[in-house]
Amino acid sequence: MRSRTLAGFAALLRAELADLFQYRIEMFLYGLWQVVNPIIYLVIWSTVVGGGTIAGYARDDFILYYLVFMVVSHLTLAIEVYTMAPSIQTGRLSPHLLRPLHPFWRAGALNISYKAVNLMFLVPIWVGLALILRPAFSPDWLGLALFLPSMVMAALISFLIGSCFAMLAFWTTRSMSFWDIWMSLTLLLGGQVAPVAVLPGFLQQAAVVLPMRYTVGFPIEVALGRVQGAELAAGLAIQAGWTVAAAAAFVVIWRTGVKRYAAVGA
Amino acid sequence: MTADIRVRNLVKHYQVADREGGLRASLRSVVRRRHRVVRAVDDISFDVEPGEIVGFLGPNGAGKTTALKLLSGLLHPTSGEATVLGFTPWGRRREFLSQITLIMGQRQQLYWDLPALDTFLVNKAVFGLEDAAYEAQLDQLVNLLELEELLTKPVRQLSLGERMKAELAAGLLHRPRVLFLDEPTIGVDVTMQQRIRDFVTRYNAATGATVLLTSHYMADMKALAERVVVIDHGKLLYDGPLAGLVDRYAPHKTITLHLERSVDRADVSVYGEVVDADDLQVRIRTEKAKAAAVTARMLAELPVADLSVEDPPLEYVIDQVFRRRDS
Repeated sequence: MRSRTLAGFAALLRAELADLFQYRIEMFLYGLWQVVNPIIYLVIWSTVVGGGTIAGYARDDFILYYLVFMVVSHLTLAIEVYTMAPSIQTGRLSPHLLRPLHPFWRAGALNISYKAVNLMFLVPIWVGLALILRPAFSPDWLGLALFLPSMVMAALISFLIGSCFAMLAFWTTRSMSFWDIWMSLTLLLGGQVAPVAVLPGFLQQAAVVLPMRYTVGFPIEVALGRVQGAELAAGLAIQAGWTVAAAAAFVVIWRTGVKRYAAVGA
Repeated sequence: MTADIRVRNLVKHYQVADREGGLRASLRSVVRRRHRVVRAVDDISFDVEPGEIVGFLGPNGAGKTTALKLLSGLLHPTSGEATVLGFTPWGRRREFLSQITLIMGQRQQLYWDLPALDTFLVNKAVFGLEDAAYEAQLDQLVNLLELEELLTKPVRQLSLGERMKAELAAGLLHRPRVLFLDEPTIGVDVTMQQRIRDFVTRYNAATGATVLLTSHYMADMKALAERVVVIDHGKLLYDGPLAGLVDRYAPHKTITLHLERSVDRADVSVYGEVVDADDLQVRIRTEKAKAAAVTARMLAELPVADLSVEDPPLEYVIDQVFRRRDS
């Protein structure tokens, strides 16, 4: 049974990849779009910080932070509001509901293949930028080792929460509005507009407990050795907690929502 | 033998937003939403035995598609029960989904930008088909549906009929035991319609699969379904042989006379209801039981050059069914 699920997932992944390769120009433009925001933040912060430091971040630290951010924000991107929500509204979910494989796997295949294809366009741009900016970097080996699990959890939380918002389409045709609110909060508390350490005290406290930081900012902090010791352990534990909570929310919302699946085109 | 499909008091209500046009109504709806309940399927019960082909008949919006979606597990009912191959469809168990298919004329599972073969490979993996079984079934479908040329073309470049054939193949690779076909011949030309009908007949004969299909085309019903279930406004109006439907709702024959010379309309109206008449041709409707006697009398009493006796067309019968319900 399990191997059939995996074989099904692998086949979906292959088909989704093949499908996305049909849209090369679109993918290139998305790749470009992915680096524009971080470049803006990078320019702002490296100008503001000048020769000094802000919350322990010097000019090169900001550059490094946003270079890693480009990769992390891409790999943790949630596209479900743009893929799953319309398919619920228009009934294109139906063929996937009729297959003996949970539509979760198809959404996952779509998410991963999108990122994989996009990465091919993002990497050259990223390497170019890194070569131009050349920030000083002294590696923190523990941080680098823990980056991968933290990154995977971040991607999972993001995918699951993105799917939860997308599944609001079972109830409303405006799931996108709720998602926009979530994205604004992530912009502020997720370590996008600024590293969490740079935020004022009360926002920092909020960011530590809320899930947004664990979808983007936290893996970057881990990779760059910005969190250490007990803080690192606590952060990973909170991240694991949010992964489980997001998975539980996914299951509950799916089970309730699919009973309401009755779009006109369903 | 237990029924493959068993439906008891199945009900599906939808809530739909209801408001008049215009800005004022639009503003009002910001504060207060009005909803209306649509009874898409309203307490229907029936059984389908293994290997049967049953036609679902009804006008647009009658609830046919909703019923098929309920039985294939896409929708959860408001109330009532159904089992298909012993499973509750909306439980969507893997064992259930592996044995059924729902093919909708207007909905597609094929990847739009990829050749159909890519979708087939996904289904092969998802349904856990062995290489040999997959190859054998694909070969059979390719032959029956004449798909050879289409498999490697991107789906978006296929014609509507070609797409429908590829869609059928994608839905049948796993050799389902129960087929739900929703308007399988919609939008395709007459030749293709005929091919699809032949295919369904042959598939049913070869595999013993149970088929429940909806169609607007009477030709589909005549060719495929010995038994029809008629629904309208979500209610079941008739369940039985197609011929019985004609007997119940249009129990008469139409006699067409070609005359050697014109006769007074009053002279022909004694034989039955005159449907239309021009100079040398008259069409008369008469009760089925009296048709033989009336024909004999007309032959004896009128200057008949030619005469034919026909059942009313099925379209007319269906029209009668729905008119009677509305009145």
